[in-house]
Amino acid sequence: MNRLVSTGLAAAIALGLSACGEPEKAKPTLDLPNKNPYPSTYQANAKGTLLIKGANLLIGNGEEKAGTDLVVTDGKIVALGQGLQVPAEAKVIDGAGKWVTPGLIDVHSHMGVYPAPGTHNHQDGNEMTAPVTPQVWAEHSVWPEDPQFEKALAGGVTTVQVLPGSGNLIGGRGVTLKNVPATTVQGMKFPGAPYSLKMACGENPKRVYGSKGQLPSTRMGNMAGYRAAWIEARAYKKSWDDYIAKVEAGEEADAPTRDLRLETLAGVLEGDIRIHNHCYKVDEMAQMIDMSKEFGYEIAAFHHAIEGYKAAPMLAETGICAVMWADWWGFKQEAFDMVRENIALVDYAKACAVIHSDDPIQIQRLNQEVAKAMSAGNRLGLGLTAGDAIKWATLNPAISLGLADQIGSLEAGKNADIVLWDANPMSVYAHAEKVWIDGVLRFDRNDATVAPTSDFNLGILEAGEVRP
Amino acid sequence: MKPLTQRLTQPVARTAKFWLGAFSLALATAAGAESILIKGADVYTATDLKPATDVYINNGRIEALGKNLTQSADRTLDGKGKTITAGLFNSSTHLGVVEVGAIEQTVDFYTERADITAALKVADAFNPNSTLLPHNRAHGLTHALVMPEAGAGLFAGQVALVQLGVAPRVVHESLGVAVDFTEHGVELAGKSRAAAMALLRQGLEDAKDYSANRRAALAGERREYSISLMDAQALAPVVNGEKPLFVRVHRASDIRGILALAKTYKLKLILAGVEEGWMVAEDIAQAQVPVIVDPINNLPSGYEALGARLDNVVTLHKAGITLLFTGMSWHNTHNAYLVRQSAGNAVANGLDKHAAIAAMTLNPARVFKAPVAGDLVQGAVADLVLWDGDPLEVTTEPALVMAAGEVVPMVTRATMLRDRYFERLSAK
Repeated sequence: MNRLVSTGLAAAIALGLSACGEPEKAKPTLDLPNKNPYPSTYQANAKGTLLIKGANLLIGNGEEKAGTDLVVTDGKIVALGQGLQVPAEAKVIDGAGKWVTPGLIDVHSHMGVYPAPGTHNHQDGNEMTAPVTPQVWAEHSVWPEDPQFEKALAGGVTTVQVLPGSGNLIGGRGVTLKNVPATTVQGMKFPGAPYSLKMACGENPKRVYGSKGQLPSTRMGNMAGYRAAWIEARAYKKSWDDYIAKVEAGEEADAPTRDLRLETLAGVLEGDIRIHNHCYKVDEMAQMIDMSKEFGYEIAAFHHAIEGYKAAPMLAETGICAVMWADWWGFKQEAFDMVRENIALVDYAKACAVIHSDDPIQIQRLNQEVAKAMSAGNRLGLGLTAGDAIKWATLNPAISLGLADQIGSLEAGKNADIVLWDANPMSVYAHAEKVWIDGVLRFDRNDATVAPTSDFNLGILEAGEVRP
Repeated sequence: MKPLTQRLTQPVARTAKFWLGAFSLALATAAGAESILIKGADVYTATDLKPATDVYINNGRIEALGKNLTQSADRTLDGKGKTITAGLFNSSTHLGVVEVGAIEQTVDFYTERADITAALKVADAFNPNSTLLPHNRAHGLTHALVMPEAGAGLFAGQVALVQLGVAPRVVHESLGVAVDFTEHGVELAGKSRAAAMALLRQGLEDAKDYSANRRAALAGERREYSISLMDAQALAPVVNGEKPLFVRVHRASDIRGILALAKTYKLKLILAGVEEGWMVAEDIAQAQVPVIVDPINNLPSGYEALGARLDNVVTLHKAGITLLFTGMSWHNTHNAYLVRQSAGNAVANGLDKHAAIAAMTLNPARVFKAPVAGDLVQGAVADLVLWDGDPLEVTTEPALVMAAGEVVPMVTRATMLRDRYFERLSAK
């Protein structure tokens, strides 16, 4: 009975509407580009409980806890403490006399896009055919079989941001990867990680394009190039905003034509894509900050910030991370004013200090790079501990990537990206003994079966030779 | 050129002023005014460890080494918890022949002129005022080989030995001639290893002919040579077996090829690079050829180095080969002192610690006939570093560096910049 009534009512309403003589117009629907057309297929699926017992924990946020247990369940860190209760079937690792850190994060790598061997066919990281190429995505160049990935894993690196090179003013999108073996880049992509955009200040773009007799050939040309791009991006964003507004108001509207260049830049203006800006010098960092205010976007980090120590108060104020080497200098003029205390001084000024490698040798020993930077700071009397220093390779890089809620410190609720070291990781003699990513053991120094080598190495190296 | 000079004026002036101060100290030392007693440091000789030992330095020499020394010194340093090694060598650098890598005008270690290959002498271009030198010596580097690089052919030029003392100087202007038999050199030499080997043989034949018929060759009465007369002249001591040929080579089969060539021409040989050396360690050992190697290079960076691995130096050492370290990685100019980090990593991956230290001290001192012992022995010139911890640790820093008998200043352009900005940051 009820069912009949309601059916009748609905029919009556429908009839009534048609009777008005205005056939119902379908509400216009938004036709928006897919923001994630190459989605991650990575899955960890760690099950069960892991207890690392009684190790010295460097938490990643500055804290240290000696002789402490760490419990992981189903790929997440669940507890830190002493004498913790775990299920009988839990896997137990004796951490006595050993050290534990969060997985190390390198926010500046070209692994996969400049793989080994470094032959011409492998030069896939720098689209130097126009000064502004935000339409290119590093992930479309990544060769997952690059043997450099497994060497970095053996050094405790669990997350890497792969960036395009610095030949362009705006070089393209970077991608954040889990350092896991996979046959596709989708299998390595950090699920949900924000995209980044690589920009470059200074000598590189002006050299590349100046030698071709085109803009930019000067630093002022660099600025003009970025600004022109942001003007285009704002107009493009407005065309989409207008389209969305019309559709939402029920008006008929055609979607603007997609432009891959401007889509990335508009993503920055919308706050979805994070700027990682190669920028060595304090004066140029100041220009970039003013430009971000001119066009209304934020900068996540300045990379290769050789003059971070000069910019430290400005960085602390804006919350922009400085991404630095421990000691590189002098390979070009903009790298001349190196101080070994750079990272420690940026940290001292309460700005976000990050170590990076930009190098397939140093990425294998990011802990040693951190140790050198700590040592230089301590020579200046800054009294830095290993706990303070490891933050430069863990929580701070996670902040710069927009992933600090998931990785970068040993805290309950975070992903179980963990390195067990056989000695204090500030020592040259320390080795990463075991490396877990999302609770899955991905490297074991004492068990070659845990991390099979890249397809590339098969038939070239004998099994025993491929261990990093 | 003028703007560059102007830009450099200020720091150079500052450095010069600072060196003037350092110089008077050096003169005082030479006159024997300052003697130093280091008490109770762990002394790493090239072959063993002498725990808690005193070292007495007078007149620029190690006058005594032992327990409970009682000499009265102008300065006594507490060495407890510290270590002493000989001053470090990096056996393949571009120190003093490059200031800023990307500024061509400051890069002097190669030329693209085809008539100046073996004849290129990096010693001619060595700049003792380079800002790289105070930085490296303040971190314990007291000697470096300066390598020319191939720019026009296989032969790169003549290798120099330099000392990074208070007044940096060239101590050997031509240790031998460098050849690039890597994929880079091969590309310059006709893009085939086989062509490169033919050119190498031809070059050596020409140098022999020149050496045996110098007067006639200079008079234009010999056949036309594949290399210029000045290149032939530079190669003469090499083909006569007086000086070594330094060959940069990575691939195992290429190493074998070079060893065979050296045998045929009765050359003294030093190999450099040698990433696949472990595959042919017995051959290298049998030929008694020392190797310049960076133990940290473990990547298949090219097809010539697919076998690169971390324990390369362990195998080479076990075969009895004399190791000479360079590194770390491409940091062989501004941070050539990081050779110590490469050595530390070698030990972390299985190399005997004394062998690693010897590869940066005694071995290069002996092989290159340096004016220092490369070791801590009584009577030796004080060329040493007092470290504030384990000499191979990355967190260890030098507390005192002596080069060629003189205490070197620890102030560098980088420490001046640091102090200036630390002061500003501290004031906030």
